[in-house]
Amino acid sequence: MIARSLTWSRHNLFGKPFDVLLSLTVIPGTLWLIYQAVAWAVGMAQWDIIPQSLRVLMIGIFPADQAWRSWVAVAIIAALLGAALGCVFAFRTRHAGFLALVLAILVSMTGVNTLAALTAVLVIFASAWILTSYVPMSRRVLIPASFTGLIAIFAVMSPPGAGLWGGLLLSVLLTLVTAVLSLPIGVLLAFGRRSRFSSLRMISTAYIEVMRSVPLILVVYWIWILMPVLTPELNLADVVRGMVGFTLFYSAYVAEYVRSGLQAVPRGQTEAARSLGMSEFDINRSIVLPQALRVVVPPLVGNVLDIFNAAPLVFIIGLTDFLRAGQMILANPQYGNRTYEVYSFLFFTYFLVGSLITFVARKLEAHLARGSR
Amino acid sequence: MNTIVDMKNLNKFYGSHHVLKDVDLSVSRGEVVVVIGASGSGKSTLIRCVNGLEMYQNGSLLVDGYQMPVEEDRLLGGEKELVAIRKGVGMVFQQFNLFPHKTVVENITIAPMRVRKKSKDEAEATALKLLERVGLKAHAYKYPGQLSGGQQQRVAIARSLAMEPHLMLFDEPTSALDPEMIGEVLDVMRELAADGMTMMIVTHEMGFAREVADRIVYIDQGAILEIGKPDEFFDNPKNDRARSFLARVLKH
Repeated sequence: MIARSLTWSRHNLFGKPFDVLLSLTVIPGTLWLIYQAVAWAVGMAQWDIIPQSLRVLMIGIFPADQAWRSWVAVAIIAALLGAALGCVFAFRTRHAGFLALVLAILVSMTGVNTLAALTAVLVIFASAWILTSYVPMSRRVLIPASFTGLIAIFAVMSPPGAGLWGGLLLSVLLTLVTAVLSLPIGVLLAFGRRSRFSSLRMISTAYIEVMRSVPLILVVYWIWILMPVLTPELNLADVVRGMVGFTLFYSAYVAEYVRSGLQAVPRGQTEAARSLGMSEFDINRSIVLPQALRVVVPPLVGNVLDIFNAAPLVFIIGLTDFLRAGQMILANPQYGNRTYEVYSFLFFTYFLVGSLITFVARKLEAHLARGSR
Repeated sequence: MNTIVDMKNLNKFYGSHHVLKDVDLSVSRGEVVVVIGASGSGKSTLIRCVNGLEMYQNGSLLVDGYQMPVEEDRLLGGEKELVAIRKGVGMVFQQFNLFPHKTVVENITIAPMRVRKKSKDEAEATALKLLERVGLKAHAYKYPGQLSGGQQQRVAIARSLAMEPHLMLFDEPTSALDPEMIGEVLDVMRELAADGMTMMIVTHEMGFAREVADRIVYIDQGAILEIGKPDEFFDNPKNDRARSFLARVLKH
């Protein structure tokens, strides 16, 4: 073992003179940085601010006595994510141990008063995962279930006022709603751009190109100021207007990913289906689209990560997402000297969610590569 | 009505390039017609016109009792006959073109279920029967990617047969196959011909052409130069270019 690691470092770290030089500067430098960071995190940092302000970080200014509503929303999200996961990776017993570990970490961070709720959420997550892992029939209802789930979340979260949504939950909801809604719109736009009908083709192309040539923040702002003019009687909340802006913007990107997938499907597939007498609608739905989506699932998952990382931009229309919630806590003079603690927490949470999505995307890519020819 | 395909003065252009020139050809029910010619001669284009995968600009084309609309009409939405024609005309491609995300059985049942509105059970029963006929019943629930080229092409033939076609088009069905797999596909086609299926075949397999064809059509630069019985055509071609073509391909 030691001999092997010595050989490895001899080959990879100290092979040539330049390697030696590089290794001798980079390795100690990195170790020093890590040491400094850990020393600060363990010795000087005062982490008590995180559990104290955890509710604000997670749900923003959503009223504390209504917090059960956000737990229900989290449970629905957990069920949907678990069900989606089960379609790709079958649940195994060792995953239960992993989930127990996650529970232990979360409870140790947040305190025992959330134990029951957290356990319930993880149990729901695992149940949905197990359900779609072993009951293939249940996978068919995933798409209707996710739309129903989103509507249910809106229904349960709305009574105290959609203007009160905030924190990490808002970031996640914004990402979910945008990801779920931009997919069908993007698919329609992608087909529109390839349509035989010039009018459809021109409209889709114009839409996609316009959206892709302007900044997200501008689109979100535009939608925010336009919606009250266009739909004065609806009186939509800022949150909804933000979601509409995000969805309209990201649909254009989804459309381009899907279009690249459509182009990757060989012409022969369409010709074979046509020669069998299938209608263009059936051909697109059953032959072309499934093959195209299979190609673009990894970039689409990457797109979800993009959405999540762009979510803090909703501060422009006055929403309190996760990042903004952190800043809000720091605005309290009492906590003025805890800047680094709060930003470290934000950094690691974003990093954790982001790397989780990347990890799933990579697994998905491998899984799909195995499934095809 | 014994004629299933009737082309009269059929012309096709790719832009200014004249691909098919005043083609006249009729095929009777039960007949096997083999189209041969050098690559780029327009032979694939010719049979792809029959089920409307290629559009033609003028002339007339009657397939299975329906008039195939010309390009102008199709672009203006006159495509009703097209669906009717395709229901009765099967096609087998050089690259097989099986649907890779569907199992062998699903490949065969999708069109009967969607187009002919057959029940799943009925379509599957037919599919299994057809797979038995092409010797692939054991592979029914595999994906195309798990099969060899010859097996995939036999599935493609079964897929077309599931629509109970009156006419089968074969566009170089063995050209993408390894030599040892050509035989198994040709055997299936031989049996089809023996069962009385009407077939239009584009192929480079001259021995096979001579054996199964009722008539050979020789095409060069988009024009039919000679049509004749296989023995006459191969032993004593009348056209000069056909003669030099045969000299080139039969040398090996």
